[in-house]
Amino acid sequence: MDAVSYPDEKVIDFLGEYVVACRVPSSSEPLSSEYGIKWTPTLVLLDGEGREHHRTIGFIPPEELVPTLFLGIAKAHFNRDEYDDALKALGRILEDYPRCDEAPEAIYMQGICLYKSTRNAGRLREAYDRLLSEFPSSAWFKRAYPYRLLEAAPPMKEEERKAA
Amino acid sequence: MEKSIRWETDIKTALDKAKMEKKPVLIDFFNPG
Repeated sequence: MDAVSYPDEKVIDFLGEYVVACRVPSSSEPLSSEYGIKWTPTLVLLDGEGREHHRTIGFIPPEELVPTLFLGIAKAHFNRDEYDDALKALGRILEDYPRCDEAPEAIYMQGICLYKSTRNAGRLREAYDRLLSEFPSSAWFKRAYPYRLLEAAPPMKEEERKAA
Repeated sequence: MEKSIRWETDIKTALDKAKMEKKPVLIDFFNPG
């Protein structure tokens, strides 16, 4: 991470703008035990109360680090029922890194957030259709598979489109 | 001057800053060698 990902300018800019970055040795106790750290590097995304929302283990190249942290930010908002903010973070993944490793999960989560904010089950079907079209071999396509049975959604309203 | 990440090294400081700035905290647990 020190040699490749952390010197990357996009990573530096992202960390400065979107998170408070904190670095501690894996031997730091009791923190390491509190978060169950067993391997390095482990990255953990917390809210201001110290609650965990996302974690990664192992090296992450710079082109994947920013989208995985956007995914973590989306999960933090999702867990607090802040669907509009979650959709903004997911939108950044899908617009700026459309073929990244996190994109299938971002599509799945986008479907859930849109469903939870509109109660329109067709948004889940849209997520299934997109995963079928763009990531048919991903694990997230398998998770969305039941949504194939849902009716397709009517076209999104302007405000929904902007949020997505 | 070369840009670099501004790391906090104390979790309490990081959490306080996160609350103030309304941002999440990213903790990197690293191997000090």
